[in-house]
Amino acid sequence: MSTINQRPVSNTPIAYGLMSLSPTMGVINGMEVALEFEGALIEGNRKSILGVTDVSCFASFGIKGTEAASWLMSQSIQIPMNRNTWVEHEGYLVLRLGGSEFLIEGQYSEDQYSHEIFEKLARFNQATVAGVYKVQRADAAFILSGSEVLNMLSELCMLDLRDSALASNTLVMTQLASISAILLRHQLNGEQVYRVWCDGTYGAYMWNMLLEVARELGGGAVGLASHFRGTHK
Amino acid sequence: MSYQNKDNMRLAKKIGEWIDRDKVIKFSFEGEDYTGYEGDTITSALWANGVKVLGRSFKYHRARGVLSLANHDVNILVTDGVDTNIRADVVTLQSGMTLKVVNTEGGVVNDKKKIIDSISALLPVGFYYKAFHSPAVLFPFWEKFIRKAAGLGVVNFNYPRITQRKLNAYCDVLVIGAGPSGLSAALMAASNGLEVILVDENQQLGGSLVYDRAGGNAAKEMLDELSVKMAETPNIKVYTGSYAAGYYADHMVPIVTAKGITKVRAKTVIAATGAFEQPPVFRHNDLPGVMLGSAAQRLIYRYGVKPFNTCVVVTANAHGYRVALDLLNAGCTVVALVDMRAEADRDQYVGELARKGVKIYSSYCVYEALPSKSKLGVRGVTICPFDEKNGTSNTANSITLDCDGIAMSAGWAPAAALLYQSGMGVRFDNDIQQFVPNSLPNGIFAAGKVNGVYNIKQRGLDGMRAAAAALQYLGKSVETINVDHHQGASPSHFYPIVMHPKGKNFVDFDEDIAVKDFINAAQEGFDNIELMKRFTTVGMGPSQGKHSNMNAIRILAKIRNLPVEKIGTTTARPFFHPTPFGHLGGRSFHAHRLTTIHMWHKAANAVFVDVGAWSRPAYYQKSGLSRIETLQQEAIAVRQSVGIIDGGTLGKIEVCGPDAGLFLERFYTGKYIDQKVGTTRYALMLDESGVIVDDGIASRLAEQLFYLTVSTSNAAAVYREMQRWLQIWQLNVGLVNVTGAYGLINIAGPKSRDVLAKLVDIELSEANFPIGSALETQILGFSARIIRVGFVANLAYEIHMPSAQALNAWKALMQSGVKEGIRPFGTDTQRLLRLELGHHMPGYDTDGLTIPYEVGAEHALAMDKPFFVGQRSLQIIAKKPRNKILVSFVLPLDYSSEMPQDCNLVIDDGVIKGRVTSVSYSPAAKCVIGLAYVHPTQNQLGATFEIRTDNGSLAKATIVKTPFFNAE
Repeated sequence: MSTINQRPVSNTPIAYGLMSLSPTMGVINGMEVALEFEGALIEGNRKSILGVTDVSCFASFGIKGTEAASWLMSQSIQIPMNRNTWVEHEGYLVLRLGGSEFLIEGQYSEDQYSHEIFEKLARFNQATVAGVYKVQRADAAFILSGSEVLNMLSELCMLDLRDSALASNTLVMTQLASISAILLRHQLNGEQVYRVWCDGTYGAYMWNMLLEVARELGGGAVGLASHFRGTHK
Repeated sequence: MSYQNKDNMRLAKKIGEWIDRDKVIKFSFEGEDYTGYEGDTITSALWANGVKVLGRSFKYHRARGVLSLANHDVNILVTDGVDTNIRADVVTLQSGMTLKVVNTEGGVVNDKKKIIDSISALLPVGFYYKAFHSPAVLFPFWEKFIRKAAGLGVVNFNYPRITQRKLNAYCDVLVIGAGPSGLSAALMAASNGLEVILVDENQQLGGSLVYDRAGGNAAKEMLDELSVKMAETPNIKVYTGSYAAGYYADHMVPIVTAKGITKVRAKTVIAATGAFEQPPVFRHNDLPGVMLGSAAQRLIYRYGVKPFNTCVVVTANAHGYRVALDLLNAGCTVVALVDMRAEADRDQYVGELARKGVKIYSSYCVYEALPSKSKLGVRGVTICPFDEKNGTSNTANSITLDCDGIAMSAGWAPAAALLYQSGMGVRFDNDIQQFVPNSLPNGIFAAGKVNGVYNIKQRGLDGMRAAAAALQYLGKSVETINVDHHQGASPSHFYPIVMHPKGKNFVDFDEDIAVKDFINAAQEGFDNIELMKRFTTVGMGPSQGKHSNMNAIRILAKIRNLPVEKIGTTTARPFFHPTPFGHLGGRSFHAHRLTTIHMWHKAANAVFVDVGAWSRPAYYQKSGLSRIETLQQEAIAVRQSVGIIDGGTLGKIEVCGPDAGLFLERFYTGKYIDQKVGTTRYALMLDESGVIVDDGIASRLAEQLFYLTVSTSNAAAVYREMQRWLQIWQLNVGLVNVTGAYGLINIAGPKSRDVLAKLVDIELSEANFPIGSALETQILGFSARIIRVGFVANLAYEIHMPSAQALNAWKALMQSGVKEGIRPFGTDTQRLLRLELGHHMPGYDTDGLTIPYEVGAEHALAMDKPFFVGQRSLQIIAKKPRNKILVSFVLPLDYSSEMPQDCNLVIDDGVIKGRVTSVSYSPAAKCVIGLAYVHPTQNQLGATFEIRTDNGSLAKATIVKTPFFNAE
């Protein structure tokens, strides 16, 4: 597994929440994350019902400011044109948070992890670009999968997140389990999943709440390996 | 022992009944074993077993049986194990239930408290207010006595915490009530492509179509037809056994089910909530065996239970005739039908009843129900001619009839609580003697009985009319549907009240309120409906007036000789039925924040404290040491060597852009435009009235980048305030809240430099990196910001790094400091350390009124600036005398009396002059030190003042300079 730089291995924001589960851990993108909890069979079943996966290890880059949109375009990064929407490119997502803030998140792929984009972004120096400010990100990031996701979200969030109400390229900045979160609906390996980001310091809390509900509904923790072949090395 | 006659009242199978006779359920009631069927309610199962004394009344402990069988009264409340106040009329029977009636002493049959009934004449409403008001000293005694005598179930404080899910749902149309109107409305809305949610509190759909059959099958056939259509319509989501608990803004209606609450947000709402049947009022109308006609019908058709063997039907509308036919159909002997109206022969069922041998007494009333010898049931009824216009009965011509029960049908009251909550305006329709909607808010529609439509076919049509209106509201093109106004006799009698010189003619069954109580209340001057409600408590019992408010309004109207519409109605508040706290609370969402070092703290025996949403180590417990001893050891480590604290919880905000310095100059009290890159300045934040809100450090990391630290619990509020002011000032500034994105470690003590120096490639000497310095560097290969601070020690460094790396940095520092004896310390120790240096903390040493002049913060005020938030207030305040000032004090070295605590008062000659804000024993100063507010005249070095401790003793404090010890 390649990494963007050679920093010491860091901890996922939900590390404290993982302690009692003793998952098989692995290092992805310089961060130690849970690859597997109970094995492929059990987690495959959970994933189809209600799986909760920590993907905080995905590379991320935040930026805001009145000139942020034009700067990103100058870096050949296509951005969503409308506020609170998102676009996906090969290997990364670009989320437009409101009008002038962006979150760019690398997606895992077996052979390419959008190095170039993130290496280029990492070189950003706000002292040299007017109206553009870096937003240090440390989100806890999750994938929610399975048939019961909307059931879970109907308890954790008061917004209407059904397909008919949440357009495919729309993101919502809302409250999930009483804390601020970003949420969108996404296709992953041909399956519909929901993506959730929240402040990493709430990560363990969010993980525990998601798992508590997921277990009640027949799901549970799903390791990264269940979604991304090749991570379990 | 038992009055309960145990007759088998179960009927042969009824078409459409709700019970499954193949599934027998065993349970016990008041210590005796019974059986019922799956689908029975507790009450229906007991009635089927011939058990008719099912409860005792709240005040007089009168025997009670079935009244509405619909959760419109609380005659029957039972306890099962730890659960109490179970509404037996509607709660489904479960195997193994061990039921006891609430509010009895000696059981429901032999309740010793029934003696209260015999002295009820001495206990009219308002009696308590007058009799026990004085002497006041005796009131606690009486209160205890009254509470024991009255009351409902006993709260079990060991009741398990059972929380239920609270869900959110959405639809185009929410239809409340699944009777003929609601079903028709739902079907029409759904057939036009709308997403519909249909909710009904009953276990099955149909409303009165299930049981109001007039001895025939027409209603059942109509229900079957609607049910088939429902089954064929996928876009209707049905909630049965669930009630719409209230109406809130934007069409939000919480639906309460056995398993939790679903908050439905609908685009439109159709209330097809029906009406509550209202009892006529006559003496002993509360005896077991006297029940509403609809209750008798429910027993027959839902549960296959015969309500009576021999009965009288008293009515004032067509519904009573339908009830009589249903009773005949169930095998009951109907001795007579007593119609309170003068023109009873208008009703279509008169002939049919006559053919079946039922004698009809028109212009008669039930003067009184005759109690059995034990007063636990009905042995007969006295009827007499009734002048409905005057409300008088001719007792000279009374007739006594033998029977074991009475079915009552005198009228209806609209179930309009949700419509009232939505803002409905009402008018009184004299044709039907009912309040009906006069104006409804946008998107709210009413249909069926609640809308004043009683004819069965018109009710279905009215549902469709409401659906059409809802469709039009949503922009759909459909034709308007018209519904005929009510034709024929009124479904409700204008005054179904029969006076009796001996009273006991009950209006409100929850609270044992009889007609004379209203008359007395009016005589006392409580003749407004809201005042009368509070004096008599009518409608204030658990059923919230569902069966009593309308009669109370009619009685008050008659007393005041006013039309009903002039009396008005009382307020209907959520919730429609009592709802368990576990439902209301739902799952616990107590969001908490953890730093990435939390795991390490836990492993190191940290004792945590909540600071805002954060969980922080207060100290690290050492075995054999008390909390105080542990704090002092942690403090000594910092003073003598080096300590380390996780400060990741501190608020961290980046202020960027060309106007960043100007923004800070306006936001904080100090100067920042001329601040050099690589330096820090104190940042004191005031509100517009000049009160201290927060403080922190502003580090200038680049020409257009300031890095602010703010206090842990104020971080969100400060950032929000910054955003607000930026909107107002429109400066060229970007704000980035990086509180969670950056970890922060504070390493402090004389050897902190040595420990840190091993991990960074910068010169940390005093000359090169003095206090007030800040820079960006690398630590362990990742970027970090290092700030020289002096909050807890003269030599201390804050290290800010990406939060994902904070644990690595923490471990590296701990490893680096092994030789120096590095020790972690928590927030409690931090408070002691800063106190030793004499630093006040906003929130601890200030309150919501403290201004900078009162804490000696004048040095932080750049009053010569053109503007900062709070400046103008300070300019005014500065001209006024102070009445308090924060001073530092010590207690004598040999002080050994009661230890002063935070918030103990400063006393001068018996007068309060101030209070202690922080106090602790300082191992560095070797005495008790603290901060306290005193009167400015007391503020002289060496002056003394007295602190009143918790045990009342006075501690003599001396004002000193800070720091409290030789920090060099």
